[in-house]
Amino acid sequence: MDFLKSIAIAASGLRAQAGRMRIIAQNIANADSTAPTNGAEPYRRKIASFRSEIDRTLGAQLVALGRIKTDPSDFRVKHEPGHPSADVNGNVKYPNVNALVEMMDLREAQRSYEANINVIGASRRMIQRTIEILKS
Amino acid sequence: MSTASAAANAYASLARLTDPAGLAKSVGEGTGGPSFGDMVKQAVGALNATAHASDAQSQAMAAGKANIVDVVTAVAETEVAVDALVAVRDKVIAAYEEIMKMPI
Repeated sequence: MDFLKSIAIAASGLRAQAGRMRIIAQNIANADSTAPTNGAEPYRRKIASFRSEIDRTLGAQLVALGRIKTDPSDFRVKHEPGHPSADVNGNVKYPNVNALVEMMDLREAQRSYEANINVIGASRRMIQRTIEILKS
Repeated sequence: MSTASAAANAYASLARLTDPAGLAKSVGEGTGGPSFGDMVKQAVGALNATAHASDAQSQAMAAGKANIVDVVTAVAETEVAVDALVAVRDKVIAAYEEIMKMPI
């Protein structure tokens, strides 16, 4: 039935957004993770991507979390000679995570999740209304 | 998705019941077509399969293995199938009572 299909499609959206949320959480949590050894690279920001995936049994295009790529931008460098992971010049590389950007991504994931939930809710209400015809 | 096809089967059976042309044909044929009992049996079987699927999902979630989204969709599908079947059952029983009330 089409309504159940739309619920399944929206559910795939929920799953994808949950995965994206996981990546964002990882970025925020690791915003200050420095390298384990002196002068090495710290945590690199990860970016979630989505791809559409054809589900044969459903006959619809679902969304799935694609490859998780890393952000190639430069690290934040701070001069902290006393830091355990400082290089020979006393500079410490901090992850290229910007809390503001992550917050924006988080909001986007949240809104997208809500949109998918609204699709599920609307489909369910439409099914219920249709069954109500049978009841009256 | 097995739950979707199970629900689809239930719906197909219900659609056959509510389709007036099909009903008239089966009445006209007499014993030729599938009986109402068979239809109900099939619909309940399909419903049972859907309910089992949602049960399995709920148990997996309780064990910490399943995704909450899968549980929600499975339970929603079961709810729809149960609602539809219950509505049909109510209609059939109402019709039966109507016939039984008929003065002979």
